[in-house]
Amino acid sequence: MNRSAASRPRPHSRKAGGRRREEHCKTEEKADDVAPRGTCTTMCPISEVRQREAQNRLHHFEVLAGTERNRLPRADVCRAVKEYSRPAAGKDTTRASELRPPDVLLKTVCYLVDDVAACPSRQPWTEVYSFVFDRLRSVRQDMVIQRVSGPECASVLERTVRFLLYASYRLCGQPLRLYDPHINDTHLQESLSWLLECYSEGQHQHQDEFQALSLLYNLGSPRALQHALELPHKVRHSSPVQLALALNRAYMERNPVRLLRLAQRLDFLQACALHRHLLSCRRDLLLLYSHGHSSRNCRFPIQKLADILSLECSLAAQLCQTHGIHVNGDYVVFSKGSFTESPSEELQCAHMHKLVDDKQQDLSLSNIIHGIA
Amino acid sequence: ETHLKIHYILPREEQVLEAIDTRDGVFCAELLSFKHPHVANPRLQLSSPEDKCQQVLEPPYDEMVAAHLRCTYAVANHDFVEAYKSFQAHKEENWYVSLFKQKCILAEQCFKSAEQQLQKKGKGKVGDMLEKAAEQLMSCFRVCASDNRAGIDDSKKWGMLFLINQLFKIYFKINKLHLCKPLIRAIDSSNLKDDYSMAQRVTYKYYVGRKAMFDSNFKLAEEYLSFSFQHSHRSCQRNKRLILIYLLPVKMLLGHMPTTQLLKKYDLMQFTDVTKAVSEGNLLLLNEALAKHETFFIRCGIFLILEKLKIITYRNLFKKVYLLLKTHQLPLDAFLVALKMMQVEEVDIDEVQCILANLIYMGHIKGYISHQHQKLVVSKQNPFPPLSSVS
Repeated sequence: MNRSAASRPRPHSRKAGGRRREEHCKTEEKADDVAPRGTCTTMCPISEVRQREAQNRLHHFEVLAGTERNRLPRADVCRAVKEYSRPAAGKDTTRASELRPPDVLLKTVCYLVDDVAACPSRQPWTEVYSFVFDRLRSVRQDMVIQRVSGPECASVLERTVRFLLYASYRLCGQPLRLYDPHINDTHLQESLSWLLECYSEGQHQHQDEFQALSLLYNLGSPRALQHALELPHKVRHSSPVQLALALNRAYMERNPVRLLRLAQRLDFLQACALHRHLLSCRRDLLLLYSHGHSSRNCRFPIQKLADILSLECSLAAQLCQTHGIHVNGDYVVFSKGSFTESPSEELQCAHMHKLVDDKQQDLSLSNIIHGIA
Repeated sequence: ETHLKIHYILPREEQVLEAIDTRDGVFCAELLSFKHPHVANPRLQLSSPEDKCQQVLEPPYDEMVAAHLRCTYAVANHDFVEAYKSFQAHKEENWYVSLFKQKCILAEQCFKSAEQQLQKKGKGKVGDMLEKAAEQLMSCFRVCASDNRAGIDDSKKWGMLFLINQLFKIYFKINKLHLCKPLIRAIDSSNLKDDYSMAQRVTYKYYVGRKAMFDSNFKLAEEYLSFSFQHSHRSCQRNKRLILIYLLPVKMLLGHMPTTQLLKKYDLMQFTDVTKAVSEGNLLLLNEALAKHETFFIRCGIFLILEKLKIITYRNLFKKVYLLLKTHQLPLDAFLVALKMMQVEEVDIDEVQCILANLIYMGHIKGYISHQHQKLVVSKQNPFPPLSSVS
C-alpha cells in the first residue's frame, strides 16, 4: 500500500501581512521547498542599469557626473540602486542574477543612508525621501522573495524603521504631493511588525530599542500593549520599554500632564516616534482643563500652561485661542462651554516641533539611522 | 488483500447505508465519529480510500466517507495536520446539520492536537492554521446563512450560531476581533436569535460580551456577560469561572465590588486584593495586587482593563480626603499628600490638578479647580456621585 507523500507537512514561513503575501505568492507556487538565492553583487543588477539607461529612466541621483545634460545620461554603476517593481503576471522576480543576497542588501541600505539620506548637499529632502523610500522598498522585496530571516533581516529592517520614523517627523506638514504620511505609516507599520516577528526567535542587540519605539509610535494601542506585556522579562523590564510603558499608562489614565512630562525623557528618535500623538495630547489637556477649571472667576497663568504643554508662551496662547479658550493678557479663562474641537488651519503639528527638535542637537542623521548613540 | 479490505468495510457500510437511507443524521454521525470502535481497525486506515468508496457508495456519500477514512489514516499516523485538512463541508442535505456539527466538533479536536504539534514548530504556524480553519468555517457559515429553501424546522440557519461561536473562538485566539463584527450583525438581524439552544446563546453572549469589553463599551459588556453567567448551567463551574474572569473587572469599573464569598466559591482569589484596594482608594495596594498576579491577568487579557480601575481608585481616595477635611474648599496639597502616602512616584501639584480635572470631566467629582487659590471647590450637594450613576 502506498503511503501518500501528501501527508508530510509543508515548510511554510510566517508572513507578516497581506502585502507580503501578494508579493510572495508567485514564488511559492513554483519552488515550495527552496527559496531563491540571489547572486547579484551590485546594488542594482547590471541588466536593469542598462535597461533604464537606454530608456532614460535613471534617477538623477544615479547619473554619472558630467553626463546629466546628455540626451541619454549615463549611469554611475556605483550609485545605481535597484528600483521597486510591482509584481505582475509573466514577470519573473526570482532570477538569481537580479536578486541581491543579504550582505549586498545591507551594503545597499548603508549606501542609501550615508550617501543619500544623510548627505547635506542633496536637496530638497522630500526628493531624497522619495528615492530612499522606493529603494528600501525594493530591498524588502528582495528579502521577501529570498525569505531572508533572522539577524540579517533585522539589520535591514532596523535601519528602515529608523529612517521612516525620522521621515515621519521631518516631513510632517509637507504638502501631500510631496509626502503622504498615510503611505509612510503603512510601510512603517509593516516593517515594524516584520521586525518584531524576527525578534521572536533568538537574541537581538536592539530589541529593547524597537519594542519601545513600537509602543511609542502606537501609543494607546491595546494590541501593541498586550504584545509588550507578553515580552520576555528582560526585554520588558529594560529602561526604554519601561519608559514607553509609563507613557502609555499616562495616556490610558488620561493624564496628559504626566505624559508630556515623561516625554521630556525620550531621546530624539523616540520623540520622533511619539510626535504624531503630541498635538492630540495637548488638545486633550486643554479639554480636561476646560472642564476641570471651568469658572468665570478663575484665571490660569499662560506661563504655567505653556510649561505643562511643553510649548512656548505664544504658541500656547495660539493653541488656546484656536480651541475657543479665552486669552486675557497673561492669563486664560477656562470654560467648559466654550471649548471647541475644531482643527485649525494655521496651527499645525509642524509648528510645535520644538520638543522633538531640541533633542536632535548635533546628532548626525547617519548615526541616528544606524543606531549609533 | 483487496478482497479482505472490502469485506471489512462492508459490514460497516451497511450500517452507514441504512443510516443514510433513513436520514438518521445523529446515528450517521455516531458511525462516522472517532468514538466509534471502527476507527481502531488498521484495515480501514487508508490514505487513498476514494476508489473503494466509489465502488460501494453513491455520491456524495462516497466522498464523505472517503474523507473520513483519510482522516482516520492520518490520525493513526499522528499526522493531525493532514487529518484536519480532510474535513470538508457538504452542502446539499439539511439533515446533515447534526452530522455536520459532529464534524465541526471533530475538526476542533483534531485541530487542538494539530495545534499542539505545530506549536513545537513555532508560533507563526499555529496562527496560519487557525486562519485556514476560520476560512473553512466561514464558507460553511455562508452556506447556512443563505439557506432560504427549506422550511424553518429543517433550515440550515440553525447551524449558524454554532459556527459563529467556533469562529469567535478562533478570532479571539488570533487576536483579530474586528472580524467578529459581521457575524454579530448577522445574528442581530436574524429572527431565530432567541430560539437557539441556551448553551449556544450563553457561549455567544460570552464572546460578544468580551468584544464589548475590548471596545470599552462596559454597560453592554455587563449586560452580555451577566446573561452568560446567570444562564450558564449550574454544574458547569469551569464555564462560570471563565465568564466571571471577564465580568468582574467590568462590574468593578461600574462600581460594583464582588464579595469575598463569590471569589472563594469560584477560586478567583487573585481579585481579592484588587477589590479591597479599589474600594478603599488604596493605590499602593492596587499596584501591588496587579504586580503580584500580573502573569494571570495578562494571560487572561484583563490586565489593561484592571489598570483602568486606577481612576476609580483615585476617586475613592479623594473622596476620603473630602470626608476627612469636612469642607467644600479643599487644598490641592491635601490630595498631593494622600498620593504621596500611597507611594505614587514622582507626582507633583500639576499632576494632581490633571487627575482632578479628569475626574471632574468624567463626572466623578462635581466642582472646579481654582489654580490661584490652589484649591478644589466642590459642590455642596453630592460632590462625589455614586459610581453606578456615572456612565
